Amino acid sequence: MTGLEPAGVTTPGAGAGATPPDRTRAADVTPPDSTVLRRGAYSWLLPRRSALTAAVLVPVLAVLVALAVMASSTGMSLPETLSGLLGTGDPGTVMIVRDFRLPRVFVGLLVGAALGIAGCLTQTLAGNRLATPDLVGVNDGATAAVVAAAAGSTTGMVGNWWLGPVGAVAAAVIVVLCAGGAGSAGYRVLVTGIGVSTFLGAVGDLIMSRENDNTAGGVFLWAVGSLNGRDWGAGTPLSLVLLLLVPLALAVGHRLQLLRFDDDVASSLGVDLRRLRAGALALAVALAGTAVGVGGPIAFVALAAPVLAQRMAGPTRVPVTGSALTGAALIAAADALGRGAAPVELPVGVVTSVLGGPFLLWVLFRPDRATGKA
Amino acid sequence: MTSPMTEAPRDAVPGLEVTALHAGYPGRPVVEDVGLTVPAGQVVAIVGPNGCGKSTLLRTVARLHRPESGTVRVGGEDIWELTRRRAAHRVALLPQSPRAPEAVTVAGLVRYGRHPQQGLLRQWSKEDENAVRDALEATGTTGLAAERLDRLSGGQRQRCWLAMVLAQHTPVILLDEPTSALDLGHAVEVLELVREVAATGRTVVMVQHDLAAAARYADLLVAMKDGRVVARGEPAGTVDEALVKELYGLDADILRAPGDASPVVVPRSRPLR
Repeated sequence: MTGLEPAGVTTPGAGAGATPPDRTRAADVTPPDSTVLRRGAYSWLLPRRSALTAAVLVPVLAVLVALAVMASSTGMSLPETLSGLLGTGDPGTVMIVRDFRLPRVFVGLLVGAALGIAGCLTQTLAGNRLATPDLVGVNDGATAAVVAAAAGSTTGMVGNWWLGPVGAVAAAVIVVLCAGGAGSAGYRVLVTGIGVSTFLGAVGDLIMSRENDNTAGGVFLWAVGSLNGRDWGAGTPLSLVLLLLVPLALAVGHRLQLLRFDDDVASSLGVDLRRLRAGALALAVALAGTAVGVGGPIAFVALAAPVLAQRMAGPTRVPVTGSALTGAALIAAADALGRGAAPVELPVGVVTSVLGGPFLLWVLFRPDRATGKA
Repeated sequence: MTSPMTEAPRDAVPGLEVTALHAGYPGRPVVEDVGLTVPAGQVVAIVGPNGCGKSTLLRTVARLHRPESGTVRVGGEDIWELTRRRAAHRVALLPQSPRAPEAVTVAGLVRYGRHPQQGLLRQWSKEDENAVRDALEATGTTGLAAERLDRLSGGQRQRCWLAMVLAQHTPVILLDEPTSALDLGHAVEVLELVREVAATGRTVVMVQHDLAAAARYADLLVAMKDGRVVARGEPAGTVDEALVKELYGLDADILRAPGDASPVVVPRSRPLR
């Protein structure tokens, strides 16, 4: 037996020194894709791959934003758009760019980022790439609330934006209560969520079917996910919610890595699983609920953004930032396409569904080089 | 080669103190009135038939299962009065067939052992780095550091998991059947490693199915049946025919290993019908 440090060593440290010489003795144990920053008692890890991903995504995002601002069925040239942006063009262009397109694109970015992070959280919580916030009733809850509120109106206008988040949170609370608490296993919450969502969806459909065509049409446009007519007024609450919740999501993201172990290992590594699960789920519902309230239940972003971000960040990370950037990029691209590529404006939700479906199939069935799994 | 039975240093401060522990599920007591005091630097093996409460006892000590009554103290502190994170500074657990994150490397796995010590402002300290390096060295997995865990053999994997638990730097280490999935060679390798770990002053409690292995590598043997401790003591003197009969309802001969006289259990053959 090759003894380590014999008796007498009081520190419960590992016995270094007595192991036979090893050719790879001084193994580099620092995370290979990270740069270490240390200052006194503080230390940080800068994930290089994630940083690189962000460095690539930000310019891509800038280009997509430019395209989305320019995009229209009538066509607006880059100089024309720029003049509108800077306020030097003719008043009509300035108004179109500054008061209609810019806020709408801005809101779209925030909605995409919120959906991306929410999807990242729910996918990590459930340990399943198909787990999105809408599975815990967020979309159907928001839709039912909005539809119910619009039911009485004759104008077909969708009511206040905050009805969406209220409905979403209410639905999620119902789901969590039925599932026996947010700390319970993700699977249980998801199955309950499917049941509650289906019921709420039916309630929404029932209300809508009793309305006149005008109201139903207005609500329908909302219910497929649209950024049409979103102005700075919708952007403000959304920015505030994101400012508050994104730092929390980033802080939680690091700990969520531990969910990839089984519960006993994660707990014995010092994670309070009930609190972590409940907190992450609450964050996901709040983010997704607000996004859905503003932009309607835009499909596929919460599903596709984290999957793509995961591919870019590598399999061992929980890509919170990457999901936000990817989500924002997906919405900006869908918005640009919806207005620029079709003779009639297509709602964002329709574009994400049409393109997102096949795209996601491609991503899911393409074997992962890192894990060798489909 | 020194005998694995060499006395470990006996400290005055008990590493682990379990008193009058009752644990279980509503209407179903699983652990009843278990007491256990283990000095630092010793290895305890808990043996007993399936369902005797060994694993529940281990989970209770690991702060994963709240006991109905009784206390678990590490270095004098009640672990149920600590936060989960604080408790993770004192007790580490290796469950029976743990699941690792997808595609994790050996070094990546061992780094997770430092999670209880890390935070937003302390993500990768020099201490973390040394702990991981030492744990890899102590388990002989330094050369595997960059390999992916899922591509290793069962024996190598188990050593890597042990390295993760070692990196946690806790005075108490709990192992739930650490050798049950291993062949004889790898099982002995892991058990010798367990002895080496205890020799650095840590307390190791392991649930063990193999009585002979438990007797050879433990300082203290605790036999449980129906949630209660039915026998405890120095292994060579504790494992006898009566104990085997009581635990497993089996008639067996106890032989002595020629090398170190540690007990070997050989069930008597029954006439085939």
